[in-house]
Amino acid sequence: MPVMRVKFGPQHPISGHLCLALDVDGDVVVNIEPDIGYTHRGLEKIAENRNYVQAVPPLERANIVDSVHMVLGYVEAVEELMGVEVPERAKFIRVIMAEMSRIASHLYWLCLMAVAVGLETMLMWPINDRELLLDLFEMYTGARITHSFFIPGGVRRDLPQGFKEQTFRALSYLEQRLGDYDRMLYQSYTFKIRTQGVGKLKPQEAIKLGLVGPSIRGSGVKVDVRKDEPYAAYDQLEFTVPTGKVGDSYDRSVVRLREMEQSISLIRQALERLPSGPIKAPAPSSAPKGETYSRVESARGELGYYLVGDGTTRPYRLKISSPSFRNLPAMGYLSKNVPFADIPVILWSLDLWPLDMDR
Amino acid sequence: MVGLESLTLQLWQLWQSGYLTELFIKVIIFPGLVHISLVVLLAVWFERKVNARIHLRVGPYHVGPVMGFFQPIADFVKLIGKELIVPEKAHKLLYKTAPISALALSTLSFAFIPFGVIGSEMSLPFIPFHLSPGEYWVVYYSNISLLIVILLFSVRPFIIIAAGWACRSKYCTVGALRTAFQLLAYEVPLLVAIVGVVMVAGSFDLVAIIESQSSIWHGVFQPLGLAVFFVAMMAEVSRRPFDLPHAEQELVYGWATEYPGVLYGCFMMAEYVDLYLGAVLMTALFLGGWLGPAFLPPIAWFLLKAGIIVCIVTLLRGVFPRVRIDQLLDAGWTYLIPLALIQVLIILGLAHVAPGLLGLA
Repeated sequence: MPVMRVKFGPQHPISGHLCLALDVDGDVVVNIEPDIGYTHRGLEKIAENRNYVQAVPPLERANIVDSVHMVLGYVEAVEELMGVEVPERAKFIRVIMAEMSRIASHLYWLCLMAVAVGLETMLMWPINDRELLLDLFEMYTGARITHSFFIPGGVRRDLPQGFKEQTFRALSYLEQRLGDYDRMLYQSYTFKIRTQGVGKLKPQEAIKLGLVGPSIRGSGVKVDVRKDEPYAAYDQLEFTVPTGKVGDSYDRSVVRLREMEQSISLIRQALERLPSGPIKAPAPSSAPKGETYSRVESARGELGYYLVGDGTTRPYRLKISSPSFRNLPAMGYLSKNVPFADIPVILWSLDLWPLDMDR
Repeated sequence: MVGLESLTLQLWQLWQSGYLTELFIKVIIFPGLVHISLVVLLAVWFERKVNARIHLRVGPYHVGPVMGFFQPIADFVKLIGKELIVPEKAHKLLYKTAPISALALSTLSFAFIPFGVIGSEMSLPFIPFHLSPGEYWVVYYSNISLLIVILLFSVRPFIIIAAGWACRSKYCTVGALRTAFQLLAYEVPLLVAIVGVVMVAGSFDLVAIIESQSSIWHGVFQPLGLAVFFVAMMAEVSRRPFDLPHAEQELVYGWATEYPGVLYGCFMMAEYVDLYLGAVLMTALFLGGWLGPAFLPPIAWFLLKAGIIVCIVTLLRGVFPRVRIDQLLDAGWTYLIPLALIQVLIILGLAHVAPGLLGLA
């Protein structure tokens, strides 16, 4: 049978808006060519045409399931450029929101991973439990997904009454549900044979390919911006960085589950140690001449913002280095001579999110 | 003129003898089309409702008197109302006939399956119709009925390959190839699992096989055969975790991707009919068919056992991820076939040592 070129996306049940051109020989994929750009919206240019605060709403659209981190990275960069010192309370609130967003994003990833191996039950459960976090976001910010809540200098408003108690309730429920997921999906024999040994990356290969986030930690490389270059209040909180051993899809999945557990403990610590004081510092409307690069650990990995200021109220240049784009080369590297059925598994074990890949 | 008169006479005699009425009742109502359609509707509804509950959803809710019971009917009516879009490059004749032949082939097998023994005299007022005790609820009695059913069961892969090829779509072609691999590979363990039953019963006649279980069900002394048959049957009717032909994640909807409206409806119905056929065969071969305590009529026992198997199969969908094609084939050749052969050896040994235990004495 001749080699066929099958288009995997951008209209496909599993790939989202990511298009992969697969060369298929029978049931084996011999080669793969990512064809990205179907969701390119020119967000960087849009941000350059607005002033520093107005740039927040379009930027968080870059990655809608992890919108908090998209804003957090930008705001950290602007503060560095302007030389603004953020109050302690705002730092802790940022950690709480960022970790809630990480859990929400990982739950979203979990349901896509479960669909990739064909288990609809685990599509419904995490999506259902993610509602709890979205409700918390709604309670605090008034919006479920696009909060636009961080501004240069701090956060917009203080925590509402009863937020702490409701968050603790939600977290203890989530903790119990993580055990359910573990038993339902991770301990399942079928899930293990579908993911173990699939898409295996040695640490050296992962470093060479420039992976970031849970994808490289699955290979056993301990890289985490929260530890290596702490921002917000991460230097005052205790947490561990979970890593895998083998570096296959199963390990990458386990790392994300363990990260959710760590996030839960981080939110608890941050809520308990929340200092009192102001929640925002005055920030100038224009930034001085200069450039800066700031990075945060988003749910998918290291998210970088390169920002150039020219003394006006608008950024002269804004460049996003998004984690999904940096994980994309691994997709091509791992998808040579693999069964067709492994393509969705590899795709979602790397958590390639086409929206922040294209921006 | 003479020919026509004699034909009319013959038809009249046929009508008087009650044969036409019997055929009509058996083909259209039970165990024919109405019965099969009702079971399919029930199975679809049960699957959707129970899986929704596993997913922490509500499932069908609004259509029908209770719990969205008429939702499958509404869906089928919607499918009938859809426009039939035939792909430009498709093989037109095959494309249009394959779904119908798939459904016809699946339903045809039910003509050879006996669903029960008639307990008391049955007749209708005004219409000549008569069934006497000891006759069977079967459309066409044959003493090799099991062979015919198995034969019809094994023709299905070729229709699916034809259907996938006829679309000339890449997803369909890959899906059809996969289906061919899977169905052809799992024919073998299915047949080997049946061997033990046929050896003990000494017949290919489903009636004889069911009646040979009057002392003890074949499933009791052939648990391995039962398990192998169950797994192979799940793979043959492409149920989760073996529903690779429809692997939505890779192949959109496998070989049926390009089929619209009622053509897709035919394929879907054929799949559920196949599932029911598998459950019915398993009941007849291993679980004693219509045999059971006398407080329920024989037909009720048969339908109850088959219905429970259908429920178990649909429940498994909520729990298992899908396996990969190479793992599926590995499992078939390295576990199922040896297990089924071991079962045959056990039966051979038992027949030598303790024939009375198997009901052979």
